[in-house]
Amino acid sequence: MKSVLYIFTFFIAFSMQAQSKYEEGMKKAFELWGQGKDSEASAMFERIAAAEKNNWLPNYYVALVNTTASFKTKDRAQVSALLDKAQKALDIEFDKQPLNSELLVLQALIYTGWVAFDPMTYAMKYSAQVTDLYDKAQKADPTNPRAVFGKAEYEMGGAKYFGSDTAPMCAEVKRSIDLFGKFKPETPFHPKWGLDRAIETLKDCKQ
Amino acid sequence: MKIFTLLFLILSASLVAQVNVGGTITDAKGNPIPGANIFIEGSYDGATSAEDGTFNFTTSETGVKTLTVSFLSYETQQISIDLGNVQPITVKLRESVNTLDAVVINAGSLEAGDKARNSVLKPLDIVTTAGSAGNIIAALQTLPGTQNVGEDGRLFVRGGEADETQTFVDGLRVAQPYNATTNNLPTRGRFSPFLFSGIAFSTGGYSAEYSEALSSVLLLNTQDEPDQDKTDLSFMTVGLGVGHTKKWEKSSVSANVAYIDLAPYQALIPQNVDWNRPYQSGSGEVVYRRKFENGLLKLYAAFDASHFDINQDSIGAVRPTRINLKNNNLYVNTSYRANLGSNWDFFTGFGYGLAKNDIRIESDRVENEENAAHFKARVQKKFSDRFKLSMGGDYFLTHFNETYQFERGLVLGTDYKSGIAAGYAEADIFFSKNLALKAGVRASQNDLLDEGSISPRIALAYKIPKRGQFSFAYGEFSQSPNQGYLKFSKFHQFDNEHATHYILNYQYTRDKQTLRAEFYYKKYRDLVRYDSQTASYDSFYSNDGFGYAKGIDLFWRDGRSIRNLEYWVSYSYIDTKRLYRNFPVEATPSFVSDHTLSVVTKYWVEKWRSQISLTNSTSSGRPYENPNLPGYLESKTKMYNSLSLSWAYLLSQQKILYFSMSNVLGTQNVFGYEYSRRPDANGIYQGREITPTADRFFFIGFFWTISSDKKSNQLNNL
Repeated sequence: MKSVLYIFTFFIAFSMQAQSKYEEGMKKAFELWGQGKDSEASAMFERIAAAEKNNWLPNYYVALVNTTASFKTKDRAQVSALLDKAQKALDIEFDKQPLNSELLVLQALIYTGWVAFDPMTYAMKYSAQVTDLYDKAQKADPTNPRAVFGKAEYEMGGAKYFGSDTAPMCAEVKRSIDLFGKFKPETPFHPKWGLDRAIETLKDCKQ
Repeated sequence: MKIFTLLFLILSASLVAQVNVGGTITDAKGNPIPGANIFIEGSYDGATSAEDGTFNFTTSETGVKTLTVSFLSYETQQISIDLGNVQPITVKLRESVNTLDAVVINAGSLEAGDKARNSVLKPLDIVTTAGSAGNIIAALQTLPGTQNVGEDGRLFVRGGEADETQTFVDGLRVAQPYNATTNNLPTRGRFSPFLFSGIAFSTGGYSAEYSEALSSVLLLNTQDEPDQDKTDLSFMTVGLGVGHTKKWEKSSVSANVAYIDLAPYQALIPQNVDWNRPYQSGSGEVVYRRKFENGLLKLYAAFDASHFDINQDSIGAVRPTRINLKNNNLYVNTSYRANLGSNWDFFTGFGYGLAKNDIRIESDRVENEENAAHFKARVQKKFSDRFKLSMGGDYFLTHFNETYQFERGLVLGTDYKSGIAAGYAEADIFFSKNLALKAGVRASQNDLLDEGSISPRIALAYKIPKRGQFSFAYGEFSQSPNQGYLKFSKFHQFDNEHATHYILNYQYTRDKQTLRAEFYYKKYRDLVRYDSQTASYDSFYSNDGFGYAKGIDLFWRDGRSIRNLEYWVSYSYIDTKRLYRNFPVEATPSFVSDHTLSVVTKYWVEKWRSQISLTNSTSSGRPYENPNLPGYLESKTKMYNSLSLSWAYLLSQQKILYFSMSNVLGTQNVFGYEYSRRPDANGIYQGREITPTADRFFFIGFFWTISSDKKSNQLNNL
């Protein structure tokens, strides 16, 4: 009886340690990211990804950190290296779950990065795909606020340019804010970003 | 029970034991790399290297583990370390050869595609170039190394005849890439730009994967995956077009049909052509793609039927010659590409072209039919980012027959069948981020000519700091004589024609600016010669012709100096002479201008939501043979100049109004002269100018796309 107990405690102790190690690592990585240390945050997420092969979140963040970092730099070689790195990390998880709504949103974001980087080369290639990806992401999870907001924001740029009515997109932004309100991430580390930008965008709508 | 206690103790102890891992990360030259990620694979233990490249972390792992070192734009390295005995570690990282600023082998090659690193053109350029009117070939004629041969319309590259350029769609030969036409009536490329995502145009020194082209190859690749469901409608002054794309989970279909008729335009604005029935054609294209778990199947089919009936003046004849031409053309291309795992890539394909012409010249009738097939298989193995091997085999089968039926009832028939079997192997080696080599060899056997050939190819590229690079290419190329000769194979045993290319290229690239300078020397040998006025079954043939072409091609593209303006300038200088065909002496052929200059501009006017494009093409006079003067091909035409304008106005995101006009200035161009075969009573050969079919050509079109996202449009088709 005692031996069973020993084994039990041992396993619990072990798994708790592993759990806390993951949490600790993720917390540390988010902290680095929050401090603007993008490459260090990416490095930390990469380490966690190498250890947690069955968890899609670390690679998701490797991709997200590098994609957002690409928006901040103007160095062409750097932008393409960052987006390539993001794509590689995303591909690992995409192969496992091609219908994960958050991964679809992130793919749309990477393509948006390429379009912003060089519209002459990439706009034709990716513009329609970006919209398509957001549609797929909404289908995969109708409650995902990022899929709703991402699409609305992307379409708004074009509509403004052509002076067409942005009201339908604004309605979608508003809907995404409602969804943000209802959205409960599965764990503290699941994606939950986007609300601030949606609120900002809605302010523009009202002006 | 005791065992468990023991186990527990050991494990707890090992969890506590900490090992210190430290060292330095440097690049290949020993300079420290800060910011590299160093960690023990599968654990959370690791660090980021400091400013001086050093790192230090503790781990509770034990035994032999894998240490991973990764850094952006560098190759990730994995080394094994024994945590029982840790020494300071120095890791040298090599720069990744897959970055934007790595060396690229590009001698001879001009690419338009989305692989931004070696593209000189953007995908949109092909179609938004004024004067191109949706013709891929016309857009390529603004690039260096090509000639303006306005009365022909085909691609003439670096002193080579038009048939020295071979066209491939998805790696498979297209035996009939141009629409059928007759003398002095320019042709167009058969393919709509609508379906292609990448275009590579090699003006020389191309890869061992391709052959049967003495000068150049044009590689067109269809899209792997269309972006979305959509319908495209076009209403043009010259016809109508409809296209539709449908996408499913794993497969997709794109289809388009077009009807072109020049009759209404001709009625409105008469041209310098005496039509009995102006040009009309009906065409359709279909692409089907299906994704498999590890592969992609593509099926492409194109059909077109065209007809025109024309009266052409010919010198020395009392009345014009009536030519009535009907052409039917079918092209089918199927390919399958698979990823076999562990970096093996397999490709196989089959292409088939059928061209049928029925031409009536006055009361004579010429009917011909060409069946051309291409089978291809290729395997590629990527051993690492730095070493790639490619091998493959081709079989080209051509069957041509022609009957010439004279008014008097006499019938002359010619035909030939040729099979060419070929194999190649090629290696791509990156010695570093700055030095790359491509070396290959191709062997082929032509059963009609009963002749084999071995063609080595080599290309080298070296990158110099910071934005420049030099490339060099050398290659041997062979091609069987063209159809016009081969059809007389029963009367004469022809041999392959050969060329040797040497190319030296310098390229400077920075954000939205490219400068490219290329010197080349091309030597021709074994060109076909004959002794009569035109090539005929009873001509005396030989393969002892020769020639050379040398020159410099310059290209400058700039999209950064002026906001919303993209422009490029191409200049080519060529010095070439040949002894071939029925030339009595070595001379510069009539399609060659020594100097060619093209300026292409595209200006985006934000306020008007319009793209305004101007293209100006200038070339120096072309040689022509004036039998009234001594010498051969020693007269020259006046300079050629044409300024084209196009205006694309976006009515809304999906509706485009397009207007274009060629030769805005109305320059009276002369392409050449033709002379009567015999002198008149005064001993003078009468001659006349060969001029464009119209001084100006207007085009108005309305292009409407219907798709669910209400975003995409047909700007890329114009």
